[in-house]
Amino acid sequence: MGHSMKRKEDARFVAGKGNYTDDVKLPGMLYMDIVRSPFAYAKILNINAENALKIPGVLAVVTGKDLEKYNLHWMPTLMSDTQMVLPTDTVLYQAQEVAAVIATSRYAARDGKEAVEVEYEPMQALIDPFKALNQDAPVLRTDKEGKTGNHIWHWEVGDKEETEKVFANAEVVVKEQMHIPRIHVASIETCGCVADYNKVENHLTMYMTTQAPHAIRTVIALVAGHVGLTEEKVRVISPDIGGGFGGKVPVYPGYVIAIAASFLIGKPVKWIEDRSENLQADSFARDYHITAEMASTKDGKILGTRFKILADHGYTDAAANPSKFPTGLFSIGTGSYDYNTAYMEADAVYTNKPPGGVAYRCSFRVTEAVHAVERITDRLALELGKDPAELRFQNFIKKEQFPWKSPTGWEYDSGDYEAGLKKAMEVIGYDELRKEQAEKRAKGEFMGIGISTFTEIVGAGPSKDFDILGIKMFDSAEIRVHPTGKAIARFGTKSQGQGHETTYAQIIAEELGIPAENIQVEEGDTDTAPYGLGTYASRSTPTAGAAAAMAARKLRDKAKKIAAYLLEVSEDDLEWEPGKFFVKGAPEKSKTIQEIVFAAYTNHPQGMEAGFEATHYYDPPNLTFPSGAYICVVDIDNETAQITIRRFVAIDDCGHIINPMIVQGQVHGGLTQGMAPAMYEELIYDEEGNILNGTFMDYLVPTAVESPNWETGHTVTPSPHHPIGAKGVGESPTVGAPPAIANAIVDALSHLGVTHIDIPITPPKIWNILKEKGVV
Amino acid sequence: MKANIEKIFDVEHPVDRVWNFLSNPEKVVTCVPGASITEKLDEQNYKGQVSMKFGPVGVKYNGQITIEKLDEPSHHMTIIGKGMDAKGSGSAGMTMNGILKVKEPQLTEVSYIMEVSVSGKLAQFGSRLIVDVSNQLVKQFVEKFKQELDNEALADGVSDTTEETVSTGGDTATATQAAAPTDTSTPAKDNSLSVFTILAAIIRGFFARLFGRKS
Repeated sequence: MGHSMKRKEDARFVAGKGNYTDDVKLPGMLYMDIVRSPFAYAKILNINAENALKIPGVLAVVTGKDLEKYNLHWMPTLMSDTQMVLPTDTVLYQAQEVAAVIATSRYAARDGKEAVEVEYEPMQALIDPFKALNQDAPVLRTDKEGKTGNHIWHWEVGDKEETEKVFANAEVVVKEQMHIPRIHVASIETCGCVADYNKVENHLTMYMTTQAPHAIRTVIALVAGHVGLTEEKVRVISPDIGGGFGGKVPVYPGYVIAIAASFLIGKPVKWIEDRSENLQADSFARDYHITAEMASTKDGKILGTRFKILADHGYTDAAANPSKFPTGLFSIGTGSYDYNTAYMEADAVYTNKPPGGVAYRCSFRVTEAVHAVERITDRLALELGKDPAELRFQNFIKKEQFPWKSPTGWEYDSGDYEAGLKKAMEVIGYDELRKEQAEKRAKGEFMGIGISTFTEIVGAGPSKDFDILGIKMFDSAEIRVHPTGKAIARFGTKSQGQGHETTYAQIIAEELGIPAENIQVEEGDTDTAPYGLGTYASRSTPTAGAAAAMAARKLRDKAKKIAAYLLEVSEDDLEWEPGKFFVKGAPEKSKTIQEIVFAAYTNHPQGMEAGFEATHYYDPPNLTFPSGAYICVVDIDNETAQITIRRFVAIDDCGHIINPMIVQGQVHGGLTQGMAPAMYEELIYDEEGNILNGTFMDYLVPTAVESPNWETGHTVTPSPHHPIGAKGVGESPTVGAPPAIANAIVDALSHLGVTHIDIPITPPKIWNILKEKGVV
Repeated sequence: MKANIEKIFDVEHPVDRVWNFLSNPEKVVTCVPGASITEKLDEQNYKGQVSMKFGPVGVKYNGQITIEKLDEPSHHMTIIGKGMDAKGSGSAGMTMNGILKVKEPQLTEVSYIMEVSVSGKLAQFGSRLIVDVSNQLVKQFVEKFKQELDNEALADGVSDTTEETVSTGGDTATATQAAAPTDTSTPAKDNSLSVFTILAAIIRGFFARLFGRKS
């Protein structure tokens, strides 16, 4: 623990020996390609596959009508909504699956796809979520009996009346409209699968890009149980994954079509998306329209917050939240500040856009919540004429107030927000920067400083509140130590680049004294790994990491019994130091863990089970609440409106750190993915529902070239309830960076009367503002 | 997605000749690269085809052209076109408002505004090219149109050449087109867009924008 061990998995990645889904090649394997709708809303009048079937190698064209015969044309989403696998009569978004072509090669499948002729009758698409709520808007989900509008659900939390009272009587109230735009996770590896159905065994092996293999196996059994694919007949294998970020949690129609095709034909079927399909059809993230309000006294004591959300879910609610939380954990949006009144409400709506609402490197809508509260806090500082750092210090929850009950019902486990912001301000030289800014402003130059002091909520989650489709969100570890003292450990989670093979090994090494390099970590095969709900929302260390520690402790207890037997002393006389038990007061009388494990197989005490293995299912008592203090400095060219991030300091508090090098890598990646929506990324649709940037030519993803030099650091406030005091870190930077950048840019322009700019903040947006304000 | 294309240019022909030409879709279509009329339904309605390539995306629209308004006294016409891609990969619509103005007895100003909307594959993948390609199409149309007018004039025994000003947005370009003695009874055989011409124009447009010059 606390050691920067190089990642064990990197040897195969840097050598090009990773094994991804597209690397799976099976004898007799067929290939699938998908015909997609060019229209956002249209009736399908006819599908003519005649010409496609003439192409050599094309074996079949599967349509919704074919799947309907097996009742496989619709499937449930993870939010208990319904989603088409293939449509029988209507398409509801551009790039929706319309038919699948099965062929003997990938090229024939693609040629076949081009040759399928579909006759559509386009209808006026419903794109604006506000208009979709109008009384006279056409009802999109006519498949749902009795549905008279496009409203999906309403959600609220907090004390509405009390909040209204506080706002009515407050000396200062600030309010902003914000849009957190629709973006895409855009992993390097797109989604895909190889469905291998064995007719003789009635058994399905599914190789697929999934962050949650066990949950997927259960879903497949629920969807296809009626055709004989019950859970023991399904094996899901998730090989190496090239980035997940939440986009590989949902079940996409392509997976199900591939299974159906393999089931009907009796041969393995491979389906791999291309880049544009991935960008245009797979689950989006964000797309929240938020009205944010904050009330305070005139000297800056925050009294309350109020948030109203309109959530655009596309044509179905295919988010991947825990069942009880339709807006995910948005209710963390009361922030790092000490006040006790808040009210939040949200309404979700159907539109003719792709489905989704996945948590892009974020614990279920925390990014949206943190952006809203950190932006509105800066807005309040501007209104009061107060330095935003000073306003934050004035309102922080103090470290002695933890555990702290938030107005929306969370119990923050621990934190020291003052320490984090103080450290960030020292590192960046805050006071000097403010002086420089004043000088520059006098000269007509634009420089801004933005702060974000966020509280995160990760590690879903305690079984009393957290489940997906009824399955509780615990996670698991199984450790098996071989006679020679080397181990294999298996988990219910699934790494997509987080470095589990190293960090889990380090946790076990710390608890059990077996060197990390002698511990093989395995995940992703449902036939071998213990059940768990997978990796997303920074939950792996808080849940499976804890399970690893707990399972290791079970083994240590057993080791103690064996050591007492071998040393012929009482257990109470033994003391542990990593790697061995020794007799109190006689350290030369000791047994190493390797000797003890060997004895477990060769010379175990009478009455004790032989072998040396343990399993633990960890049900966390609470979530963990990491935090961070980020400061960003921007310069804006007053002629070209070019925005340059001059400095960015990120001080994270993720509790005890297992591997500082991995944490730093996670923070670098996360900050870059936080900069992305702040300055570059947005999926843009026209009023017909055409996506206008559905390729990497037009959808801007930042690379190392655009990234500034990230300056990272830490404060450490351990989680009091986690076995090793760790909290989770993967998503913190993605959550914390956008408001820091947006606050810096608004700060640079605030003297012109600018109070808010919606992300992504691009040079054209700035240029228009400078033009409007008469600067250029 | 929607795009508006506006164009004003002069031709050195009397307004009646220009009007007669422009109000006859079967003549106009010979000037539109990649277009053909397949059937005349009645005086106002025609069926036709347009094939185009926008970068990686090839489309072939089958559609209908309707002459919504044809007002000779004011020389104002409105034409509506709608088409679906033959393979179901998208649709396109167009509304064109054109007006002719007499500048001199032998000089007519043609101005029109075309609202184009496209859905489907072209909008998904070719949107960045639509304006560039459209401008190039318009340029080719204008050249061909003038040539055809000159040819008609020649056939009528009037010899003239045309010198005119073409403008799109802020740009002004002058092109000289010598009348070519071609047989007007057969329309040009290959009138599909030259890929290289378009590519060249797009590359020019890209560099012009890169260096801040309006193309």
